[in-house]
Amino acid sequence: MKKTEAIKKNIADALELPQDILLDLPKITLVGNLQLYVENHKGILEYSSTRIRIFTKSGILRIIGKSLLLKSIVVEEIIIVGEISGFEFLD
Amino acid sequence: MLILRLWNYFRGYVIIDIEGLNLERFINSCIENNIYLWNIKRLSYTKIEAHVGIRGFKALRRLSRKTGCRVSIATKFGYPFWAHRLKKRKMLIAGAFFSLIVVIVASSFIYSVDVVGNEKVDEESLRSALVRMGLKPGSNRYAVDLREIENQILIEFNELAWVGIELKGIYAKVEVVEKYIQERVIDKNNPCNVVAKKNGVIDQVIAKNGDSVVKEGDIVVAGDLLISGVVSRENMDPTFLHAYGEVLARTYYEKVITRELTIIKKEKTGEKSTVTRIGIGKLKLSFGDSEVPFGNYILEKNMKRPTIWRNIRLPVEIIKEEYFEAMDIEEKLDIEVVKEEIHQEAIDYLMGEIPEEAEILNTFIDFKEVGDQIQGKFTIEVLEDIALQEKIDNRED
Repeated sequence: MKKTEAIKKNIADALELPQDILLDLPKITLVGNLQLYVENHKGILEYSSTRIRIFTKSGILRIIGKSLLLKSIVVEEIIIVGEISGFEFLD
Repeated sequence: MLILRLWNYFRGYVIIDIEGLNLERFINSCIENNIYLWNIKRLSYTKIEAHVGIRGFKALRRLSRKTGCRVSIATKFGYPFWAHRLKKRKMLIAGAFFSLIVVIVASSFIYSVDVVGNEKVDEESLRSALVRMGLKPGSNRYAVDLREIENQILIEFNELAWVGIELKGIYAKVEVVEKYIQERVIDKNNPCNVVAKKNGVIDQVIAKNGDSVVKEGDIVVAGDLLISGVVSRENMDPTFLHAYGEVLARTYYEKVITRELTIIKKEKTGEKSTVTRIGIGKLKLSFGDSEVPFGNYILEKNMKRPTIWRNIRLPVEIIKEEYFEAMDIEEKLDIEVVKEEIHQEAIDYLMGEIPEEAEILNTFIDFKEVGDQIQGKFTIEVLEDIALQEKIDNRED
């Protein structure tokens, strides 16, 4: 498993392909502190108005903020709006 | 995102409350089952609120049984729900439809006819002709043939050069243009006399054709023969000519103006009483005490018409009458100022009367004081052509 990952990464580097597609990694877009787009997620683990945890290929993504709202949630994308104060990857 | 909102509105959606312990699992299984949830909000530890489409909601109920969550509808939104509710109220639809029909039918009638552009042609006769042809308040706009009426009006009224009828909603505007009738010019081959147009004293007669019958210094009145077109010489039958020429004469334009020298001015004392009325057509309703407590007053009327839209107004007027108590104060006017005013007025009036090509010879001004009045008499003497051609009617040939 680890080996295939490494090969994929090498191919992506060599061909300059976007890594998020090839490696199935999350792509996170933050608009100010108002909106956060998470593409390529693997499901939601926890949701409350101050904390959201999303499962991704790179680990668990934790978002902290105030009055958080799931604007839209589909297979490939989650849109979070609210006052976002920070996010981090946890193992 | 207006497009999305509109789309959602037409598809219909519901706001649901989901109660349960493992709500994240519920959301995840929604994603897996392709149920689109949006605007998910945490309400409490065991409760979230979410928006979901109608179809999604149906699939959701099956899912909720599996995950052990309770789903309840908080609010329904969108066109399908509205249409469903409306289906039950048939009379409402019937009423809406009926009022729409009424509006359409009512707006197909002509409510008022306006005639503009006529100066010499009598408006009443024009209107009665229009009524005869079918264009009157109350007639259906689709039943009248405007082009046909235009032609008929043109045939009936010789003085009109053009008629245009325009329908603006419920108003019909009839625009007419009158013919510019030229001054009658007698053909050169027709015999004629030259007569006086106005009263005056002859100054000079230049008979280019025909025999002059007046000489310098003669006083003529309007209609007097000046140059005769009937020429008779000795041993000859009288011949008829097309007489023409210039006849310059002194004519007088006069204007008398009388003015009072003292005027009575009303001055407000400060007392005031207000009466408000509401007028509908000719009917007027007054509110409160409509008696005026003053014998001598100045009335200030203020009318207001509520506007609905642009220049469509309600037929209701709000009339506010303010009565100010007044006192009479006599005031002597300065004689010189009054004279100046009268002079200006008279000159303005007389200049309108005098033809442009006339030459002004003299101006006489005479002021007379009669009691409390001043009388100004203004006379302007001008030199002008008073020749006017007139056909000879009693020709015996």
